[in-house]
Amino acid sequence: MLAFLRKNQVPLSSFCCLLLSIYILTAAARGQLKNEPLSAVLMWILRPLQIASQGTANWVKGFQENYDTLAGFRSENERLRKRIQSLEIEKQRLLEAEATNLRLKQQLDFRSHLTGAAITATIIANSASSWFQSCTIDKGSADGVLKGMAVVTPLGVVGQVVSVTARTAKVLLLTDPNSGIDVLVQRTRSRGIVSGSLENGTVLKYVKRSEDIQAGDRLITSGLDGVFPKGMMVGAVIKVRKQHLGLFQFIEVLPAVQSARVEEVLVVGAQSDAKRQ
Amino acid sequence: MRLFLLYFVVGVVSVLLQTTLLHLLPIGPIVPDLILVLCVYLGLYHPSVGAALGSFLLGYSVDIVSSPILGLNAFAMSLVFLSVYFSSRSIWLQNPIVTSVVVLLAAVVKGAALVLVWAVFLSVEGFWIGAARYIIMEALVAAVLAPMVFALLRRGQNYVEKFRAAAQ
Repeated sequence: MLAFLRKNQVPLSSFCCLLLSIYILTAAARGQLKNEPLSAVLMWILRPLQIASQGTANWVKGFQENYDTLAGFRSENERLRKRIQSLEIEKQRLLEAEATNLRLKQQLDFRSHLTGAAITATIIANSASSWFQSCTIDKGSADGVLKGMAVVTPLGVVGQVVSVTARTAKVLLLTDPNSGIDVLVQRTRSRGIVSGSLENGTVLKYVKRSEDIQAGDRLITSGLDGVFPKGMMVGAVIKVRKQHLGLFQFIEVLPAVQSARVEEVLVVGAQSDAKRQ
Repeated sequence: MRLFLLYFVVGVVSVLLQTTLLHLLPIGPIVPDLILVLCVYLGLYHPSVGAALGSFLLGYSVDIVSSPILGLNAFAMSLVFLSVYFSSRSIWLQNPIVTSVVVLLAAVVKGAALVLVWAVFLSVEGFWIGAARYIIMEALVAAVLAPMVFALLRRGQNYVEKFRAAAQ
């Protein structure tokens, strides 16, 4: 028996890992996996590294943009090139500061329209997998972020908090196939569900064939899901297709917020209704 | 111990790269799966209990930062490790092309595992329709990266072994 175990220790341990993952999956799917310590420890290790790494990524992105800007000046002499480069870097720094200032002002303004508490957070990491559209923010349960809270920007809906550790939270983006947001078409008040899909990008589901939906129609949150404040911009219809068969129309949506370009977000509770509505 | 530290550091760096810098690559929505390549490497060249646990933890760390439900990638990576472990008994791997093919097949195994588990636990309507395209694209990117990552890992391993020999 011992010899058998010793001989097959690798496949047996691997098989045990498979069983453990199935157990974790089952427990997580039933919502029984709360305050799981390993996640907290791993996130505790990863959080500062992710912040530093995201800083590097932002620097690389900025460097790429600077490089593109400077590409036209290659033929000029070295002194001018250096001069221009230093000016461009300085300009970039100032523009970045100005843009950040503007963004934060917009957020403050937007925040004053919300009745409930809103927590400002910064995105520190994106999804590690092509299959999931999610991101990590630098605020967690210690800052008042709870599972299920809505994540928004002044431009519109970003997603929903799906898990929380003490100092970070994972946000499931609007564009993920697992997401679903109850929306209204602003013009006709027709209802539907906006969700991501692997094949067609973001789509509006369950809208009857008889409903009048046109490209360019704006979609806003209905507030009926109890997660997102009513009246927040979700996106705009870009394509409508009525198939020969079926009860519903096929509608493609352009999200109002391009999550790849968002840096700061607001995390709001369900009670935060937008006053402007 | 030093080899364990090497793979631990490589694992953490892979997770960090996948969540930040690799998103800058102009290859659409696909993020190169360094963690998959690392699991295949462990299955081929370090088939041990520690490597099996390592693969599980690598998948689990991806779950923590990405997936909507814990255990999804942990399952997929453990399955990849087990598949590679069994297949490594019957193939001889020194050729970069064979390496790429093994990683490509491992990526398909991972994709299939994700689709299967996703269907069972998340039941997203019509999810599988777009999955095939993702599996193929992700597998191709991983296969292209594999020889380079393998060469880097082998170099790191040689360095650690030399260091150990010098210390003795």
